[in-house]
Amino acid sequence: MRVGIEQRLDRPRWLVVAVPVGSVVAAFVLAAIVLAVTGHNPVSTYKQLFEAGFLQQGSLTQTLTVATPLAFTGLAAAAAFRMKLYNIGAEGQMYMGTIVGAGAGLYFGGRGGPSVFVIGAMVIGGCLGGAGWALIPGVLRAFFNASEILTSLLLNYVAGLLLTYLIFESESYWRQTTGFNATVFPTSKPLPGSAIWPKWVLGLQGGLTVPLGAFLAVLCAALLWVAYRRTRFGFEVQVAGDSERAARYAGVRLRRKVLAVMALSGAIAGAGGASYVGDFSHALDGDPNGLQKLGYGYTGIVVAALGRYNPVAVVVIAFLLGGLENAGNTLQGVDFPAGLVGVVQGIILFSVLGGELLTRYRLRVTWRQHAPKPAPAPEAAA
Amino acid sequence: MPTTGPSVPAAGPAVVMRGITKRFPGVVANDHVDFEASPGEVHALLGENGAGKTTLCQVLSGLYRADEGEISVLGRPAAFGSPRDAIDAGVCMVHQHFHLVGRFTVAENLVLGDRRGAGRRFRIHPDAVDSQVRRLGERYRLPVDPRARVWQLSVGEQQRVEILKALYQDARVLILDEPTAVLTPEEADGLFVTLRDIAGEGRTVIFISHKLNEVKAVSDRVTVLRGGRNVGTVRAKDVTPRSLATLMVGRELEGPRTPARERARGEVLLDISGLWAEGDRGFPALKGVSLQVRAGEVVAVAGVAGNGQRELAETIAGVRPPTKGEVRVGAAVLKGGDPRSAFAAGVRYIPEDRLGTGVSPNLSVAMNLELRSFRRTSFGPLLRLRRMREGAQKAIAEFDIRAAAPETQAAHLSGGNVQKVVIAREFAGDLKVLVAASPTRGLDVAAVAMVHSYLLEAAASGAAVLLLSEDLGEVMALNDRIAVMYEGRLSEVADRGSLEEIAMRMAGGHPEDGQPDREPLEV
Amino acid sequence: MNNSLAVVLIASGVAYGTPLLFAALGELLAERSGVLNLGVEGMMLVGAVMGFWADESFHVPTGIALALAIVVAALAGAVMAAVHAFLVITLRANQIVSGLALTIFAGAAGLSSYLGNDLQLSDKPARHAFGPLLPKALQNLPVVGPILLGQNILVYISWILVVGIGLYLTRTRPGLNVRAVGEAPSAADTMGINVTAYRYAHTLVGGALAGVGGATITLALTPQWVSGITGGSGWIAVALVIFAFWRPGLCLVGAYFFGALQAVAPELQARSISLGPTVLWTNSLPYLMTVLVLVVAASGTARRRLGAPGALGTAYVREAR
Repeated sequence: MRVGIEQRLDRPRWLVVAVPVGSVVAAFVLAAIVLAVTGHNPVSTYKQLFEAGFLQQGSLTQTLTVATPLAFTGLAAAAAFRMKLYNIGAEGQMYMGTIVGAGAGLYFGGRGGPSVFVIGAMVIGGCLGGAGWALIPGVLRAFFNASEILTSLLLNYVAGLLLTYLIFESESYWRQTTGFNATVFPTSKPLPGSAIWPKWVLGLQGGLTVPLGAFLAVLCAALLWVAYRRTRFGFEVQVAGDSERAARYAGVRLRRKVLAVMALSGAIAGAGGASYVGDFSHALDGDPNGLQKLGYGYTGIVVAALGRYNPVAVVVIAFLLGGLENAGNTLQGVDFPAGLVGVVQGIILFSVLGGELLTRYRLRVTWRQHAPKPAPAPEAAA
Repeated sequence: MPTTGPSVPAAGPAVVMRGITKRFPGVVANDHVDFEASPGEVHALLGENGAGKTTLCQVLSGLYRADEGEISVLGRPAAFGSPRDAIDAGVCMVHQHFHLVGRFTVAENLVLGDRRGAGRRFRIHPDAVDSQVRRLGERYRLPVDPRARVWQLSVGEQQRVEILKALYQDARVLILDEPTAVLTPEEADGLFVTLRDIAGEGRTVIFISHKLNEVKAVSDRVTVLRGGRNVGTVRAKDVTPRSLATLMVGRELEGPRTPARERARGEVLLDISGLWAEGDRGFPALKGVSLQVRAGEVVAVAGVAGNGQRELAETIAGVRPPTKGEVRVGAAVLKGGDPRSAFAAGVRYIPEDRLGTGVSPNLSVAMNLELRSFRRTSFGPLLRLRRMREGAQKAIAEFDIRAAAPETQAAHLSGGNVQKVVIAREFAGDLKVLVAASPTRGLDVAAVAMVHSYLLEAAASGAAVLLLSEDLGEVMALNDRIAVMYEGRLSEVADRGSLEEIAMRMAGGHPEDGQPDREPLEV
Repeated sequence: MNNSLAVVLIASGVAYGTPLLFAALGELLAERSGVLNLGVEGMMLVGAVMGFWADESFHVPTGIALALAIVVAALAGAVMAAVHAFLVITLRANQIVSGLALTIFAGAAGLSSYLGNDLQLSDKPARHAFGPLLPKALQNLPVVGPILLGQNILVYISWILVVGIGLYLTRTRPGLNVRAVGEAPSAADTMGINVTAYRYAHTLVGGALAGVGGATITLALTPQWVSGITGGSGWIAVALVIFAFWRPGLCLVGAYFFGALQAVAPELQARSISLGPTVLWTNSLPYLMTVLVLVVAASGTARRRLGAPGALGTAYVREAR
C-alpha cells in the first residue's frame, strides 16, 4: 500500500469550512489527552472553561477586555503575514502604542481639551508609536535584508525593558512623582478623565460593557478588509506576497511596500496599545507582571493564523480565544494550572496548520503489487 | 565529427522497454511505447517538444513509475521505485536541470550517495576522493578541478560534472536530456567525442534531442517519438535529416523558409544605444548593446542561454536598471529600472519565467490579466472588481484560455494556457514594442504555433517585435533580421539565411576572423 | 587578578553562553538539513522544566541524578521538535508559522509553565546542581583558572560537541548527506539519500540539544525553575546561527560574546556599581547587539559562500511518480 499526496486542482467550498472546524475539534481532543495524562478531568475542565469564558454573570464583559487587544494584535499580524512579512513584533509595537498613547492622553488631557480631541490624539499617538517601532525591522528588512522575524521579536524585549524603565527606573513623564504612595512604591500617573475612553452598557448578562476599543477594532478590521481586497494597495500587497519577481514585473516598488505594510501592521498594534491604556489600565502599565505577562502580541499570531489572515475572521477568533484566555485567568488556581490556555492554543494552531494540508492536497491511498515479471525476449523495434 | 558505426558488439540489448504507458492528469505522455538500445551504441531519441521523449527516459531512470509496461536492463527485469534503484541497476540520467549541489565541490557532488568508490566509508578522506575524481576525468577527457565549487562553473562544465557523476557510479546506461541546448556548437562537438568514447567502452548512451543534424552526426540508431508513440527506429546512416524530419513531424516539411516577408517597415520604434547592465551576481551582463527595431519588424536574437539575453529583455522592460546607456521608444527615453514607465510607453514583455514572473502563481486569472494595468483601470485607489471579472471572462473567451473561471488560480493552468494569459494581458491596449524571451520553451506543438502566430500578428499590426530565443528553428522561422548575443554583446548577422555564420557568432567568433576567440575549455 | 572585571566577564560569558551554545548547535543541525525551527525558546523551556523535575524526582546520587536530568531534558526537547518535524516535514506546513506555534505551545505561557505549576517546581533551589569539574587548585590558576578550568562538565561537553559537529559535517558521509539534503534535496533524493529521514533525525537531535541548553540554565547557571526563565535565549540562539554562518566554531564565539553581554548587568549589580539611567541600555544590550549582528550578517558580501542552506525553510516535495 502506498499513501500518496497530490495537489488539489480545485478547492471545494465545503472543505474551506470543514477543515478548520475539524481541526479545532481535533485540537480539543488532543488537549483532552494532555489534561487526562496530567490527572485532570477533561470534560469538567472544558465545561468550567466555557462557563467562565462566556456564560457566567459578567464573563462576557471580562472576555471583551481580553478580546479587544487580541483583535488589534491579530489584525496587526494578519496585515503583515498577508505579504509574507513575518512581523512578530506586535507585542513591542503595542507597548510603544501604550507609551505614546498614554503620553498623548496625559499631555492633551492635562491641558483640558475636549474628550473627543484627547481620545483622537491618543489613537493617533498610539498608531505613530507602533508604526515607528515597526519601521525599525521594516527598514532593516527593506534596505539591509535582515530577517524581520528575528529583529521584530528581539525589539519586543527592548520595548518591554523601556516600558519598565519609564515607571520603575526613572523619573519619567509617565510616572507619578507626587503624593505619599508614589514615594513608597513607583506608580504611574493616572490619566485625566477626558482621556478615559467611553464604554457602552448593553442589557445582556446583567450589563455587558462594551469598550470603545472593541468598536475601533471592528472598524479597523473592516478598513483592512477593504484595503486588501478592493484597493490598488491591496492588489500590490497580494502580488508581492505571492511572488516577488511577478511583483517587480508588475511595477510594484517592493521596498516601499515592505515599509508601508510594516508601518500599517505596527500602527494597528499601536492602536491596540492606546486602547489598552484608554479602555482598561487608565495609566501606563510598566509592571513587568502586568501587560508584559499577558503576551497579547504573541497570542495575536495565533489569532491571525487561525483566521487565515482574513480580518473579519480574525475579529471572531479574537473573541473566542479571548473567552478562553479570560476563563484561564478566572479559573487559575490549584486545580487549574497556569499555562493550560497556552497549551490549548498551541494545539489548536498545530491542528489547523496540519489540517491546511487537506485543503491544499488530497491523500490518495493506492493498493498495488509490484511483482516484476521477466521481460519478453527482445526483438528489433519498428 | 567522430565516425559513427557499430562498436563493441554485445550479447543482448542493454535496455528493453515494452508497452510503456505513462499518463498525467489530462495527458497521455507515453502511449504503449516500445524501445530498446544495445550495449556500445549511441541511441538518439528524437521528437518534437511534448512528444514524450523526456517522460520515457524519466520512466527508465526511475523518476516516474510507468502506468503500464515492462522494462528490463542488461537482461534483468527492472521495476525502479526511485532514481537510486535505477542507478544501482546501472542507469543514470543527466537531466536538463542538473541535480547538482551548487555549494558543494565537484568531488563532493561525485561522492554523494557513493556506494562503491572512495566516498563510501563513514569517514571521508578528501585527498583520496580528489585523486579518484581526477583520474576519472582524465580517463574520459573530461578535465575538472575536484576542489572547484559547482556554482562557480559554467553550464558546460556543470554538465561535465553530471556526466562524470554517472560514470563514477559506473553507469552502464547513460541518458542525456537535450544536452546540447546549453552548449555552444563547439562545446557540443566536444561532448559528442566524449559520448562516442563512452559508448566505445560497451556502455549505452541514450541521447534526447530535437535537432536533426546532431542526431544524424552522433548516433548509431534513432528512435522517433511523435505524440507519445514510437513511430520508428532507424539506423542513422540510412537516413537523411529530411527523412528524419518527416518522421518526426509526420508530414513533409515545407522548403526552407522564404526570406523577408512582405511587410511594411515603419520608423524606428525601439532604439537601444550603448546599454550596460549588471547580472544577478553583480557582474556586467550587458556590455554596450545597441539595436534598433522598426515598426512591423521582427528582430530575432539567437544565442546560448546565459549570454545576457534575459538581462537585455529585463532592462528594456524596466525590470532591471541599466548602468549605462538608454532605451528609447519612439521619441521618448525610458526611465531606467521603472517597469511602470516602460509599460506606459507601450513596451510589452513576455518573460522567460512564465509561472512566477509572467503570472503570480497563486492569484486568480482575473488578477493576473490585470497584473500590469490595474493602476489605470482602477477608480482612484479602488479596484473595479466587477469590471475586472467581466474583462477576464472576455479574455478567456477571446484567447481560448482553458480556465474554469476567472477566479481559478494561475498555477492550476497548463503551460500553454499560462502563456495565453500573459499574451492576452500584454496584447491589451497600446502595444508598441513587444519583447518576448524564450516564449515557447516547454510548450507543446499547438501552443508553440499559437505563440508564433501572435508574435507575427503583433508585427503585422505595426509593433516592433524583439524575440530572444535559444531555439534556432524558431529564430530562423520568424525573423526579419537576426542578431546573436554572446557574452553580453550583440552582433548582427549579415546573411540571415546562413546557419554557419550564426553558429560561429554564438561561439563568439566573427566570420572575418575565421577563428572563434573562445578561451580553451580546460578548467 | 581573577576578580578583575574582564576575567569575570569572560568567565561568566562562557557560563552564560553555554545554554546559547547548546541551543544554537541544535538549531544549526536542523537548519543544515533544511528545517528552520523557530521553536527553540519553547524547546529550551520544556527542557529546562523537565530537567529540573528529573533532578528533583530521582532519589539517586548527585552525579546520576544530574545525568538523568540531562537525558530527560534532551528527550523533552526532542519530543517538542518531533511535533514541528511532523508538521513541516510530513505535512509540509509553513515552517515559520509552525515554529512560532511551537514557541506559543511550549513557551513561557504554555506547556513549560503548565508543567512547572502542575509539578510544583517553582520557588525552590535545585536539589543537585552542576559545579566546577576540576580540582580547586586548577581553578585558582590565574586567568585560565576561572575562564577555562573552573567550568562545569556541560561546558566541556559543549566543546566536544563543537568539534564533533564540525568534523561530522565536513568529514563524514552522513555529514555530507545532510548538507546535500539542506542545500538541494532533489539532488540528494536522486542519489538515494532519504531526505525525510535525515530531516527528522537532525530536527530531533536539534530539539534535544535545545532541551539540554534549557536544562543548563535550571541546573547550572541559575539552579532553580522560574516560568519563562530563558528570557529570549532561544531567539538569540536562532540569531546566533545566522551570525555564525551555519558553522559550529563561530557559534561558540558568538555564544560566549552574547553570554558576556547577558552577564554585564548582573555582574555590575553584584559589585553594587550603580547603573543609573544606563540600566536600560545595559539590559537591552544583548538584544540590540543581536539585531546589529543580524544586519551585518545579512548585508555581508560573502553570503553566497557562507549563506543559509539553499533549501532552508522549504518543504521537499518529491514529484509524483
